[in-house]
Amino acid sequence: MSDIIRRDPRAEWIARNRLHPLHAEMAAPAAETRGPSGLIRKNPHAVGFIGPNGIKRIDRSGGSGAAVGIRRGARSAQQVELPLHTVENPDYYVVAVLDMVGGRLTSHDKDVLGQAHKLIRGGDGSGAVLAVVFGEHKEEAFDKAGVDRLLHLTGSEFDGYCPEQKVACLAEVEKQYQPRYWLFPDSINGGNELGCRLAARLGERPATQAWQVDRDTSVCRGGGGLSDITRDTPRLLLLAEECADPIDETRHQVLALELDRKPRIINRLQDCGQVAVDPNSVSLAEAEFILSAGNGIHDWDQFHQAAEALGATEGASRVAVDDGFMPRFRQVGATGTWVTARVYVAVGISGAVQHMQGIGQCDKVVAINTDAGCDMVKRADLSIIGDSQKVLAQLIELARDYREGGAENAA
Amino acid sequence: MILDWLLPVLLLSVLALALIGAIRRISLWRAGQPSPVDFFGGLKAMPRRYLVDLHHVVERDKYMSNTHVATAGGFVLSLVLIILVHLFGIESKWLAWPLLASSVLMFVGATFVYKRRKNPPSRLSKGPWMRLPKSLLVFSVTFFLVTLPAAGVLPQGFGGWVLALILAAGVVWGLGEMVFGMTWGGPMKHAFAGALHLAFHRRPERFGGGRSTGLKPVDLDAPVLGVQKPSDFKWNQLLGFDACVQCGKCEAMCPAFAAGQPLNPKKLIQDMVIGLAGGTDAKFAGSPYPGIELGNAKGGPDSTITEGLVNPDTLWSCTTCRACVEECPMMIEHVDAIVDMRRFLTLEKGNTPGKGAETLDNLIATDNPNGYEPGSRMNWAADQNLRVMSEVKEADVLFWVSDGAFDMRSQRILRSFVKLLKAANVDFAVLGDEERDSGDVARRLGDDATFQSLAKRNIAVMNKYRFKRIVTTDPHAFHVLKNEYKDFGGDYEVLHHTTFINELVKDGRIKLGGHKGGTVTYHDPCYLGRYNGEYDSPRELLSAMGIQLAEMERSGFRSRCCGGGGGAPITDIPGERRIADMRIEDARATGAELVAVGCQQCTAMLEGVVEPRPEIKDIAELAADALVEADDSQPARTRRDELAVEVA
Amino acid sequence: MANAEHLKIVALVSVGQHPKSGRARRAEQDARAVELGLNLCGEKVQVLHAGDVAEESLRSYAGMGLKQLRVLQQAAGADASVALGDYLSEHLPDIVLTGVRAESGESSGMTPYLLAEKLGWPLVTRIADIARIENGEAEILQALPRGQRRAIRVRLPFVASVDNAAAAPRQSAYGPGRRAELENLPWVETADEVRAAFEEAPARKRPKRLKMVKAKTAAERFKAATAKSQGGGGRVIKDQPPHEQAQAIFDLLLEEGVLR
Ligand SMILES: Cc1cc2nc3c(=O)[nH]c(=O)nc-3n(C[C@H](O)[C@H](O)[C@H](O)COP(=O)(O)OP(=O)(O)OC[C@H]3O[C@@H](n4cnc5c(N)ncnc54)[C@H](O)[C@@H]3O)c2cc1C
Ligand code: SF4
Ligand code: SF4
Repeated sequence: MSDIIRRDPRAEWIARNRLHPLHAEMAAPAAETRGPSGLIRKNPHAVGFIGPNGIKRIDRSGGSGAAVGIRRGARSAQQVELPLHTVENPDYYVVAVLDMVGGRLTSHDKDVLGQAHKLIRGGDGSGAVLAVVFGEHKEEAFDKAGVDRLLHLTGSEFDGYCPEQKVACLAEVEKQYQPRYWLFPDSINGGNELGCRLAARLGERPATQAWQVDRDTSVCRGGGGLSDITRDTPRLLLLAEECADPIDETRHQVLALELDRKPRIINRLQDCGQVAVDPNSVSLAEAEFILSAGNGIHDWDQFHQAAEALGATEGASRVAVDDGFMPRFRQVGATGTWVTARVYVAVGISGAVQHMQGIGQCDKVVAINTDAGCDMVKRADLSIIGDSQKVLAQLIELARDYREGGAENAA
Repeated sequence: MILDWLLPVLLLSVLALALIGAIRRISLWRAGQPSPVDFFGGLKAMPRRYLVDLHHVVERDKYMSNTHVATAGGFVLSLVLIILVHLFGIESKWLAWPLLASSVLMFVGATFVYKRRKNPPSRLSKGPWMRLPKSLLVFSVTFFLVTLPAAGVLPQGFGGWVLALILAAGVVWGLGEMVFGMTWGGPMKHAFAGALHLAFHRRPERFGGGRSTGLKPVDLDAPVLGVQKPSDFKWNQLLGFDACVQCGKCEAMCPAFAAGQPLNPKKLIQDMVIGLAGGTDAKFAGSPYPGIELGNAKGGPDSTITEGLVNPDTLWSCTTCRACVEECPMMIEHVDAIVDMRRFLTLEKGNTPGKGAETLDNLIATDNPNGYEPGSRMNWAADQNLRVMSEVKEADVLFWVSDGAFDMRSQRILRSFVKLLKAANVDFAVLGDEERDSGDVARRLGDDATFQSLAKRNIAVMNKYRFKRIVTTDPHAFHVLKNEYKDFGGDYEVLHHTTFINELVKDGRIKLGGHKGGTVTYHDPCYLGRYNGEYDSPRELLSAMGIQLAEMERSGFRSRCCGGGGGAPITDIPGERRIADMRIEDARATGAELVAVGCQQCTAMLEGVVEPRPEIKDIAELAADALVEADDSQPARTRRDELAVEVA
Repeated sequence: MANAEHLKIVALVSVGQHPKSGRARRAEQDARAVELGLNLCGEKVQVLHAGDVAEESLRSYAGMGLKQLRVLQQAAGADASVALGDYLSEHLPDIVLTGVRAESGESSGMTPYLLAEKLGWPLVTRIADIARIENGEAEILQALPRGQRRAIRVRLPFVASVDNAAAAPRQSAYGPGRRAELENLPWVETADEVRAAFEEAPARKRPKRLKMVKAKTAAERFKAATAKSQGGGGRVIKDQPPHEQAQAIFDLLLEEGVLR
């Protein structure tokens, strides 16, 4: 790898993309927000950008820098307007019930919408994709994702976890619109559950984990992922991720539809809210972000601080455990826990086979190590060659800045 | 004179009491399960087993061996003569003088025992054992004095009643300890139980220079699998426990004990004695299990051992290295007992600690301990062009690859060995995906059901093909195939790769050049050395490479385990140190830069020690590096093979 | 743990499949359901399977310490959920525990939904634990992604599917597994006609979707062409001040969305 620091095209892209979940942190305007008292506040941490040499810069001229700060008007001028796909008086509907994690379309949702259009395209009559969205949302690009009709169901009854209420509404949709297909993302974010509940309610036999679907046949993953089941396409489908390409060349009408009768039922499942779970009490096997310590840690207080500041679950190599610095249930590896974290940061861990066995399923591995030749560095997606103590100190600071900044932004 | 009538009475009553004690003790042993023995043959062989086999072990400690010969010989002789002279009253100088001589002999022995006991090493038990030398002295002196009149040295009635009383007290003490105590549980119990233990040993093959190390199979249809209560042991195992002299030789050798894991083989055997007789360990006078206080263990013949008597962690700490068995002068079988109790925990309780349960599940579902796809067993050899038995059906040598096939480090050993086989033009083949885990780990973790299932399937596969011998780089598979498959109808000639390579070198089929590099030491794998007696081939092979070994203090039959056997790395019972760290310390003490081993498990364990440390290499790797390519015989082929190795 | 000794709890089990060898085994989630049942009411938990009593892997559920395991006899092509539903509506337990998805067959995960619908009971999905049962009401912890939990209250009786986040099942012991009684109940079979038309084949590899760049402008095209491929592995940052190194890590954490 070269040592040249490049501009971070991704950060710039996020700053440009208003819909990106991280947009708020990246975009310069976030530096000024209206506080609770109504006064304009400046968030000093959100000001500026990382310059080409990696140093934070504040551009007071308000113009240059990365794409940050370029106004929308200027950008939309460059953008090509996508053709509008219209459906008047549809003969039938294909309903897609969307996850909307964090109030926005997920990529899985977009795949499902893409699949919906695939089922309509080239078929008889004119079909419209009817997206069902529960509760408040922040999405502004339904049009570009392929939503012809939108049934937006809001109200306090959709707050929290209320699958029974939602299914009752979907049953109403069934009555009122008699969709040709019901599509759900087969996800743990609600899609799978709603789909299965509705299927049981309607007496439909759904296709689950369907990943290749046309109007005639569907291919579904079965047998715990070991087999493919080819079957006639049913009316109700739970779709796997990347089942179809998302819509990206057309805009859609997003005409609002209503439900004539909104059922209101008594939930038998009473949502008592999310239980606060401290990242360090999350079991290692379930943790998504692990900061793991080895023989190369010399300041253990600092390590714990870092884990706390970053909100990471702590892990350890066997040596760290043997030496009594970490409890045994934190050990990662052959004789410890096999972890599945999305990000695994190995600080001062050399990468013995027995340790590597435990992190085989991790998505991204980051190594902090003084020895550029050690096996952990060979495995890592990102390696920092340097003293753990110094790097952790900087990380703690970055994390604290980020949190304070975040808190102020939220205010 | 008082003694004239008192002595025969005392003798008679003590002998009667001893007899009652013996019957009681025997009935305790008989609470155990039946185990067929050759009753008369065993009794007949007993003296020889004592004098030759047991002595052979005791002789490793010259001091103790001479002491014991003097004391025990003197005592046995004295007792016989005492009965003749003082009980039956046979008045003959031909008996009295020998009795004087034997008591002197015993006295001499006893003084040496006394000297050793003055500052006993920690492995020795204290308590009643500290009394024993005094009892020995009292016994020998008393009977010496008592016999003087009979020998005509002193007049009858010499010394008056004071001396008579003192002597009477001495007789009571001496006989009490030496005869009564023998069957009622004193230190002398070892003589009584030990003699019978030698006669009815469960592994008679061990006598006369033989070896018997394979575990015995579990009857899977039994109502209880494994040993739950002391009475679930075979009766002669119980007898064996009773023979322990608490010499602590086992304790001194045990790697788990040294690592501060909660295991002490001597204490374990004593706990078994508590179990068979009932009681607590409050009076145990030796070292406790590290980290576990004395006084809390309670047991009885019919109470569950692991609930109150022995903590399961104690059983799971054992690496099954057999150092204790090798060292035990009473030839007690610790490993059998430990695995028997583990069997109950695994097969009946489902309580295998650490990664044990997962490993067993994997073995059941995938035939390998880490749950890899069974069809990927041959992936390591994709570039090796190996012949597979299912295609060739027949070969001179069946190369048993073992689960090292799934491990990158072990694959280097496998490739090195293949390189040597090819260089020597050995006609060999592998089982490929038809091979399964040998069952070693499952068996040591107590899961004999899984072991038997693996063994039977492996045997069924091997019986389909024709081969003369099996060669393997894994001493665990070596042991299991060689010694434990017999019970299931698999009788093979199995060689360890070091033996086989050594043969090739001796036959001139491969030539090894000199090894370049610093000092080398050799670590004897337990399952190669103590289990199978192969100490020489690896050493010969190393010296054929011009290596002058710097032997570790503990090598050969005294080699210290790497910590990798018996599923110990899987159950991973915490201690104060790692066994592997201690072993690397041993190696460092020789100044070695390289530790040669003959086992992939040892390699993994020793390489698991934090650097800097000596390099670890299997002998196959060293030999492959030192291989002098024979250019006269089939140069083309060798070159191609070498290329393949490089690519790998 | 909840005090539920007086309750009738049924855990439904299926024949699992090892992900690597494809060999039949005790299914992970179903075993967790049995574990939860054992923790709630000890040996009294009723473990129920619809299928073939001769199936060996049932023994590994029994080896968890069950005295008895009941099997509704069903041929391979029968719809097990119908049989189970009939059985349950006849016996009306207080709690029915199932796995989330079977490891073999269709793996649709519909069984708990169908049973709840048929019994008319509430269904709690993906539970990690039952914290308390009091006055006919259970407090349940539902597993959310990344180790998070949601508390849910529900009145008995109910159906619950047990997630992988629930307590790991105890080891199965061979001896008790052999000795447990597998009670075979002949049961009415309903042929699963839909499934009969399925074609099952080993899973094909699904191609990973390539990042398609549909460039609308020349600049974007240029960027797409010159952008270095991320995740190509092994970015090493050496000889740089710690704050820049830390920043690189921090950026990755942000990008992966693990900072919250
Ligand atoms: C049977 C068996 C099972 C095992 N199971 C496991 C297991 O489950 N999990 C496990 O982790 N291990 C296990 N091990 C142990 C394993 O082999 C290694 O010994 C262990 O993982 C090494 O731990 P480490 O990387 O922390 O220590 P080391 O190998 O000592 O590595 C320390 C690293 O820190 C770096 N370093 C030093 N100082 C600094 C500094 N100031 N800043 C940054 N970096 C620094 C060094 O360059 C080095 O790479 C097992 C071993 C065996 C034999
Ligand atoms: S076999 Fe080895 S580890 Fe086990 S008790 Fe004996 S000496 Fe100790
Ligand atoms: S078991 Fe053997 S070695 Fe150990 S103390 Fe007893 S007699 Fe000695």
